[in-house]
Amino acid sequence: MRLQFEEFLAAPECKIMIVTYPDIFQIEAKLKYGKFSREYQDLSAIIMLDSGDLKKIGIKDGDTVAIKSEGVNVVVTAKESEEEHPGIGYMPESVWSNILGVYPVSATVSRSQQEIPAIDELLSRSVS
Amino acid sequence: MVCTGCALLCEDVEKYDGEVRDACRIGTAHIRNRQQINPMVDRKVVDMDSAIKGALDILSHAKRPVFVGFGNSITETQQTGIRLAEKIDASIKTFHTGIIENILNNRVKTCTLSDVRDYADVIVFWECDPMNTHPRLLSKYAYYPRGEKRQHGWEEDRIAITIDLRYSHTASICREVHKIHPGLDADFIDALIDGLHNKVPKTTYDKKQILKLAGTLKKAEFGVIFAGTGMTTPQDAIIRLMDELNEVSNFHILPMTPGYNLRSIAAQLHGRADSGIDMHEADCVLCLGFDLLNSLPVHEINGKMIVIDPNDTISSRYADVVIPCAAGGVDCAGSAVRMDGVEVDLPRIMESERISDASIMNQLLEAM
Repeated sequence: MRLQFEEFLAAPECKIMIVTYPDIFQIEAKLKYGKFSREYQDLSAIIMLDSGDLKKIGIKDGDTVAIKSEGVNVVVTAKESEEEHPGIGYMPESVWSNILGVYPVSATVSRSQQEIPAIDELLSRSVS
Repeated sequence: MVCTGCALLCEDVEKYDGEVRDACRIGTAHIRNRQQINPMVDRKVVDMDSAIKGALDILSHAKRPVFVGFGNSITETQQTGIRLAEKIDASIKTFHTGIIENILNNRVKTCTLSDVRDYADVIVFWECDPMNTHPRLLSKYAYYPRGEKRQHGWEEDRIAITIDLRYSHTASICREVHKIHPGLDADFIDALIDGLHNKVPKTTYDKKQILKLAGTLKKAEFGVIFAGTGMTTPQDAIIRLMDELNEVSNFHILPMTPGYNLRSIAAQLHGRADSGIDMHEADCVLCLGFDLLNSLPVHEINGKMIVIDPNDTISSRYADVVIPCAAGGVDCAGSAVRMDGVEVDLPRIMESERISDASIMNQLLEAM
């Protein structure tokens, strides 16, 4: 595997407060395809970030980010919000968000090159 | 037919030749889909009798059993579950029932959804987003329909307001939208109470907006607050706000319960003594229609786990015993209590080979 130069640099971090929200399409995917489906994961393992916060950590819409909170580390896809909400990240209610703790959660978010773990993997390695 | 996709329990849903009509996106998916889930003991597929025997074995050896969930089961299952819990001295844990408790204690004024449709002129969505959780609330009761005293519906007769941590989909149809800062819910309520008393609030929130909101709430003839049950606002602050609102206006509160029958289990457990065993200390956890591991990490469960559920869940993948059951109101009949406290009979929509969770709990109760 070829190592890239960025991997030796500490990725810039941004402090955020995480708030969860319900998403009807994600609930539908859970009922239609189940919690272990790709459809459910794609709609669950995401965080909506303010465009300014995306710039702070040097990523763009669709990149993966690591969210750290009190020893728990979760990797999800970052999405750019249409509205402004600096310092606040919105995550759909799911195991990817619940594993971070009781809301509102204080966390740091940074660029990640890891893959988004499936639920089984997430539960086994979430505490690092 | 009645849809058990959410706590609205819509009674106008129909099913023809496999097609679900008049249900929302959640209801349609709930009625049409059922995931494969097998009876299992120690993560090996077994027959139903062996799975029930496996559950009995765990329950009979349990010294500190805890039952969780119950909000997605018919009332009859809940009743049997309570009897089983009493028999083995198990603690029952339900979640998001704080507002229902306050209603049952007569600490806050409430009303029915029909009252909302007929009389409500100011509707507040407090930390909830019905467009994503209870999709037909706005069209059937809260905003769009004409009611007895609201003949002009949403165009002239109703004012919808959202108070939330984010700009939700529901906020997009509201006349007023107020954003709460995470962790500062109580400050918002304090500021609003000052506004209700015609005082300029000392707050970091926009004072003009707070005074405008207070003015709108004071003018309400019949106000309703739909409160998210997962809301971070402290319960005592909600009670204080409701008391203050009802001094100057006429306000009711309705909880946006997440499980279709959460109101029923909250009422049945109301005032009941509980052994109060902590989840982490439990040597046996029985999950009834509830995916515990969706919100609690695996390493925090130290006891054996039994799952009774119509669907494959994260908990069922880790459970020591899995017992699949029919879904209430879909492939088994029963009754439930709507989010506003109205009792509703649930006929069976379709036949299946699965047995109901009520029957499973009955078998466990009799054998214990």
